[in-house]
Amino acid sequence: MAVAAHLPDRRLLVVTAMPVAAFLVLLAALAAASPGLLEAGSLLTLADSAAPLTVLAAGATIVVLCGGIDLSVAALASLASVLLASWAPGLHGWAVPAVVTLCALAGAVQGLVHVAFRIPSFVVTLGGMTLWSALALLASGAATVPMPDSTPTDWAFTRLGGLVPSAVLVALGTMAALAALLRVTPLGRWVRAVGHAEPAARLAGLPIARIKVIAFALSGGTAGLAGVLLVARTFSGAPTLADSLLLPAVAAIVVGGTAITGGHGALWRTLVGAGIVTLLRVGLSYAGVDAAYESILYGVLVVGAVALTIDRSKVSIVK
Amino acid sequence: MAERIQTYGPAAALLALVAVFAVLSPQFRTLGNLQNLLDAGAVLAVVTIGATYVLILGCIDLSAAGVMGACALAVSLLVANSRTALDLGPLGVLLVVALGAAFGCLSGVLSVGLKVPSFMTTLGVSAIGLGVATVLFAGVQPTVSDPWLLQWASGRWLGFTRLTYLALATVALAWLVQRYTRLGRYALAIGGGEDILRLSGIRVGRYKVAAFTLAGACYGLAAVMITAQLGSGIVQAGAGLSFAAITAAVVGGTQLAGGRGGVAHSMVGVLILTVLANGLVLIGVSPYAQRAVQGVIVVFAVGATLWPLRHRLEVVK
Amino acid sequence: MIEVSGLRKAYPGVVALDGVSLQIRPGEVVGLAGENGAGKSTLLKALVGLVRPDEGTISVRGRQVRLRGVAEAAAHGIGMVFQEQSLVPNLTAAENILLGCEGSGVRLGVYRWRRLRELAQAQLDKIGSRVDPMARTETLSFAERQMVEIAKVLAIEERTKEPPVVLLDEPTSVLETEEIETLFAQIERLRKHASVVFVSHRLDEVLQVCDRVYVLRGGQVAGEIDPATADAADLHRMMIGTEATGSHYHDDLHTPPERESVRLSVRGLCGDGFSDVSFDLARGEVVAVAGVHGSGREELCRALFGGRAITAGQVELDGETVRLSSPRDAVRAGLGYVPSERKVEGIVAAMSVAENMALPHTGALAREAQAVEEWIERLRIKTPDRHTAIGTLSGGNQQKVVLARWLLTGSLRVLLLDHPTRGLDVGAKSEVYRLIRDLSASGVSVLMLADSLEECIAMSDRVLVMKEGRVTMTLHTPPGAKPDPVELVKEMV
Repeated sequence: MAVAAHLPDRRLLVVTAMPVAAFLVLLAALAAASPGLLEAGSLLTLADSAAPLTVLAAGATIVVLCGGIDLSVAALASLASVLLASWAPGLHGWAVPAVVTLCALAGAVQGLVHVAFRIPSFVVTLGGMTLWSALALLASGAATVPMPDSTPTDWAFTRLGGLVPSAVLVALGTMAALAALLRVTPLGRWVRAVGHAEPAARLAGLPIARIKVIAFALSGGTAGLAGVLLVARTFSGAPTLADSLLLPAVAAIVVGGTAITGGHGALWRTLVGAGIVTLLRVGLSYAGVDAAYESILYGVLVVGAVALTIDRSKVSIVK
Repeated sequence: MAERIQTYGPAAALLALVAVFAVLSPQFRTLGNLQNLLDAGAVLAVVTIGATYVLILGCIDLSAAGVMGACALAVSLLVANSRTALDLGPLGVLLVVALGAAFGCLSGVLSVGLKVPSFMTTLGVSAIGLGVATVLFAGVQPTVSDPWLLQWASGRWLGFTRLTYLALATVALAWLVQRYTRLGRYALAIGGGEDILRLSGIRVGRYKVAAFTLAGACYGLAAVMITAQLGSGIVQAGAGLSFAAITAAVVGGTQLAGGRGGVAHSMVGVLILTVLANGLVLIGVSPYAQRAVQGVIVVFAVGATLWPLRHRLEVVK
Repeated sequence: MIEVSGLRKAYPGVVALDGVSLQIRPGEVVGLAGENGAGKSTLLKALVGLVRPDEGTISVRGRQVRLRGVAEAAAHGIGMVFQEQSLVPNLTAAENILLGCEGSGVRLGVYRWRRLRELAQAQLDKIGSRVDPMARTETLSFAERQMVEIAKVLAIEERTKEPPVVLLDEPTSVLETEEIETLFAQIERLRKHASVVFVSHRLDEVLQVCDRVYVLRGGQVAGEIDPATADAADLHRMMIGTEATGSHYHDDLHTPPERESVRLSVRGLCGDGFSDVSFDLARGEVVAVAGVHGSGREELCRALFGGRAITAGQVELDGETVRLSSPRDAVRAGLGYVPSERKVEGIVAAMSVAENMALPHTGALAREAQAVEEWIERLRIKTPDRHTAIGTLSGGNQQKVVLARWLLTGSLRVLLLDHPTRGLDVGAKSEVYRLIRDLSASGVSVLMLADSLEECIAMSDRVLVMKEGRVTMTLHTPPGAKPDPVELVKEMV
């Protein structure tokens, strides 16, 4: 009890102040290096480039809040891009909702396998990752699928009033919708309770299995939506289009201060996290660092952030 | 009964697969195919040994892809090659194995020291490895010209390449380490009950780091082998192998929860995957479909091993 | 051998050890008796370095020692046979016996299996055990594993070159009668090699095996008993003391149950750990289930809340058959449960009082906030406000929040209480008792696993005694006609 008593304060300080401070410091540093950055135009361009990543990480954050992890999101987004590009000629505008729904279903299936067979989520989603990317390769014949008529996805890659990128609004809207869902319904409380103390949540009579399946379905759905955003800006789908976004997405979640042990965290943190990841990437290229170092950066970032945010009172044995 | 199935099930499945493919494909039954099969399985076998040492602890290692990428580039730059003036030969190979071990050690130290779950640290280390590989690659693919190293994959002795013998020797050595050394037995014990070892005053962290290091060394060796096969160093040398190795180990009966299985079990799994891949190609199935099959298999295999435990109230995250 | 003096250990809200002093002499079997929470397990843990005392000293062979872990305790010749067994299941018995101190069994990191086997066999021979040292530990029976554990503790002798002290924590709780006889024979053999500390709930066993018995009560040594001249009744009287009175249990608030209206009816219930359990619970009745560790009462309580599988039998609630396959089913049927492991299973420490109280609630959030405020007031929960993290409250207030969770909706019909006062101080206990009385008066039926026999008898209208998974006796315990705890003890063992 003593541990629990003074834990929240220190945690909150580290976990809330640090990501926000890091974001601001990065922004200031970048602005100092390149004064043009703080103009509305370039800020919006920056935000636009962060949009797919943000959407991808949004649903996955809910899984992490439950104490699980979804490693399949990037592969699922790639699969979504291939399916969208292949279906758009036939289904037109319906292709987008069809793909997003299908991805949500794919996520739900992973959740079901996780709870029904009691397999750790990272294994299920690692298996899912392989399965989805194999299906994407099969469906596309391992080639880029061009989308000759981009009308179904134009809404996701345009500038409203010639200024605000629609993708940014989609990302913010997704975040807001999910946050509202967690706020207005008991789902938010339940997700956190499952993440913090699953045995207690179970004995309080919460529908644990349903909560987890919903979390995975949301994660799958936003992965699909991220795929849609990517198709909109590349005018094509490709079987490995989003694969390189897995680590940045995980990084965005944990850098924002959401603990992979579950319970501690929030959606807005992922927004901040995605901002940090994007600024770092842009900053590196400003500093003239070879893009090859990006991957190293993500690796260090993920491990470092997890180490800082993890709730060690919960893990007696680290596997 | 359940234990019997878990012990002998994989071997039975292997025999069944061999029988099915032998009936379906006349080509599968040839001696030449047996050579292909073992040569094809050699790299996976060495990677799987590494993965097994970590799985036995109850941890998981997702770093093989990254570590192998870095090591493949490193070895192709250290032996006689098209880009650097270096020609270190066997010393270069040793250095690369040491580099792999260093990556493994890093995963271990991060997991143990920072108390971060291993799937997270090794995912990070994999990214670091890929980054190092990309930096070393620098846009120009190094081609290996060292005849000694290229001989590993091309020269045959009694019908098999040196890679096959190297893999067999590694398997034998790994089995001996697991059976007869303190490291091997304690690794098994950590998987069985880490807290009990701690209570007995054993420094669990050291043995964990050692197991991760050993795994890294295996990935380093596997990267050398794959570079010998390809004749050049590529960043993608280990792509998909992390997952394939874990699949092989789990399918063979090495449990994800730790403490169960071992090198011998995992090797049965390697043979299952290799036979499956070889057989499916011979009967004309797309290699992408095989990957899909692999994804399903691993979930299924883990599910099967956990099925007897499903009624326990423990929390699964 | 060992001299403990003035040992004190306090946890927030509870003093587990309050100045305990005792001696253990060479070749002696010393018993420790006491109710749950008397401090037995804390004392044992202090002796093997798992708990660091706040005050007081432990001396081994005249030298004062500070123990910081099992390994250090072993270096001083103290080893413990844990109740929940501390063997690595996938290693051989020999490896477990020599774990961490293989000696000449391992040279330069390489195992010499033959030598290892000989070394382990030597330890097993000391207690005349016929367990195969090369057998994988998980293939052995519980009794065999216990022998391996004892051999493991005896192996300490090889390092210290002195007879060790063996602590046996509830060694008989899951053994069959014959196995218990064997164990007692082993303890007799042990005398030649070691001193033994024997802890058991079964008082007759303690008296049969031990040379001397220390009785602990409320973290203090209540006295010492010589088994030659005392019987179980003496021992029990000393364990209970005369601490509590009727007002502690709020006897004045007691309301007689409505016998004719059956709330919960359990018929032929079977599951893992219990079988063929049948009983009725009337409206407003408080029934306590008594039984020793392994009697199956915890399992029964869990199963009734859907937390464990029910394999046969049926449960009726107000005349309707209910299916209890998950806690969710149970909650929907109008059952509530207060688990014994409050910090792990009762509360979500990092979440707020309001969130914890309304955890299963699905209604409108505004009305929920109002209800939470109301219950904080009605139960006099001491918290700065409803948004405070529950982990920062005292144990008693946390427990009240857990109780309030089931009262919030007003649909509670049966409350299952698993050690509801565990780890609470006297004042908090009394408040929980009062709450139970209030609930019972409002028509809620209560099934309770009490923390002590006294609590069990004082709070209940009836007591079900469980033994080896079955209900062996029902005892009516109305106010004014409470039976002597000693009678109950006789039925339990």
